[in-house]
Amino acid sequence: MDELLLTGVFLGILFVLLGSGVWVGLSLIGVALAGMLLFTSRPAGDAMATTIWSASSSWTLTALPLFIWMGEILFRTRMSEDLFRGLAPWLMRLPGRLLHVNVAGCALFAAISGSSAATVATVGKMSIPELRRRNYPERMIIGTLAGAGTLGLLIPPSIILIVYGVTVNESIAKLFMAGIVPGIVVAFLFMGYIVVRALLEPHSMPPADAALRLKEKARESLYLLPVILLIMAVLGSIYLGIATATEAAVLGVVGALLLSALQGSLDRNTFVDSLMGATRTSCMIALILAGSSFLSLAMGFTGLPRELAAWIASLELTPLTLILVLTLFYIVLGCFLDGISAVVLTMAVVEPMIRQAGFDMIWFGVFLVVVVEMAQITPPIGFNLFVLQGMTQHDIPYVARAALPMFFLMCVAVALLIAFPAIATYLPETMSPAPGRPPT
Amino acid sequence: MRVILDRLYVVTGALAALFLVAIAVLVLLSIGSRLAGTYIAGLSEYAGYCMAASSFLALAYTFRHGGHVRVQLLLQRAGGRWRRALELWCLAIAMALAGFLAWYTIKTVIVSIELGDVSEGADATPLWLPQLGMATGAAVLALAVADRLLNVLRGGALEGGASDTHD
Repeated sequence: MDELLLTGVFLGILFVLLGSGVWVGLSLIGVALAGMLLFTSRPAGDAMATTIWSASSSWTLTALPLFIWMGEILFRTRMSEDLFRGLAPWLMRLPGRLLHVNVAGCALFAAISGSSAATVATVGKMSIPELRRRNYPERMIIGTLAGAGTLGLLIPPSIILIVYGVTVNESIAKLFMAGIVPGIVVAFLFMGYIVVRALLEPHSMPPADAALRLKEKARESLYLLPVILLIMAVLGSIYLGIATATEAAVLGVVGALLLSALQGSLDRNTFVDSLMGATRTSCMIALILAGSSFLSLAMGFTGLPRELAAWIASLELTPLTLILVLTLFYIVLGCFLDGISAVVLTMAVVEPMIRQAGFDMIWFGVFLVVVVEMAQITPPIGFNLFVLQGMTQHDIPYVARAALPMFFLMCVAVALLIAFPAIATYLPETMSPAPGRPPT
Repeated sequence: MRVILDRLYVVTGALAALFLVAIAVLVLLSIGSRLAGTYIAGLSEYAGYCMAASSFLALAYTFRHGGHVRVQLLLQRAGGRWRRALELWCLAIAMALAGFLAWYTIKTVIVSIELGDVSEGADATPLWLPQLGMATGAAVLALAVADRLLNVLRGGALEGGASDTHD
């Protein structure tokens, strides 16, 4: 059969399986299987089992369930209240007042949690009722929360950065470091937007709560201490080269358990719930990664990535054009797939292209996460929108409209990232190397 | 039968959770041993095996909880009979793929036993042992998908229905 026709059949199977709603992980196995059958006479089943075994039993992957578990434990603590109490007195004086709690709270929680849905849920649990009670504009409450929740994916620890790192075989510790400054930049963009809106429409913002004296402020700030200690233990140990990503994750789990015990939220139920929740989430991601490892193998036989890379090279696009095309591609893809599936599914094809074009893979990882994050707040598939829909009883179109300004601000963030790549690459270049793993 | 199957999914899920805890313990051990200046061979390999065992053993349990992602676009728009037909198609494909996965992961275990395959790492573990977790998990997933397929064929509730939310 003609190569082109084969490729068409292959892609057709991909669209039909994914589009009809077959579970993503299994779809990837199915597509890979079809690729093997169409393009090579190698025994597909044995190749599959070997590939999936070595991909699933890798040491790098162990950071994934541990960071997920850490987030699940913290989600079940009184973290929401602590963040609100600790941040509110300080942000009250800024134009836009407590709306900033949404952004700052998400940024802080993002630094101890790897998922954006969990970030939205944790911060929103406290801030939505509190802000509503004080009559802040509803659309701003929801919009800023939807936008800031995406920081959960960008600011390390980040599940999606782990998935990306495992898929393209880059250091997770470096990717984590690369995500920090862009995350802070995005947070400042959101806060800047709140300030501008508040200055333009001063009447829409409710008055400040009674001011606290400095001593009281300091006392309230103590509520932030556990979060800050955890952040320092996890991210600090990675940056200083004291711990690998996996080791930092275990420190995080132990720290989260301690914190939860000290607060009195740790009992048999919360422990089991957090553990089972983490087991399910990491199993879901592991199945996708297993499927994707087999798909990468099959893709190699199809020659598709090679040809696509050669074709892109022959177009002699400027790096800027290539990045813009990819940005559009991922935003559209994000309308149908969740972030992790989108990254995993495409990397087998996109990776050779990106490497050939000479991009820094660490920088590209951060770029990819920002773009995929934008898709989290656009309908029809946007996990932050779903979470907020559940929490606020507004319908998806309303939540999406409220989040739209944040989408544009993230476009600005992408532009900044392209113009000043050092935003992402500075920290990974200055961090200390991770402790050497004993020889295996 | 119903009770036995449901219990099987929960038990494999609980085993998966234990393996997740085991990962944490192994990593803690490796940090501890490094601080103490000693070196325990093969810890990172064992953590990797626990990772595979945890991921695979949880497959069926996660499936029962609706935890595996899928593209919902078409499913949500399809109504009534179309919805059921689409779900049957998805389940049939999923059963074939999960069955295929189970078949070959079991074969891998058998081949590892026959050839006496041993890990290349410092641990020198006979490979069939950790691979057993992968094969078991894949087989239970195939069973769970077949179970659901039969259930929907008999007119049972679709995913997200009341029958899935508890176990």
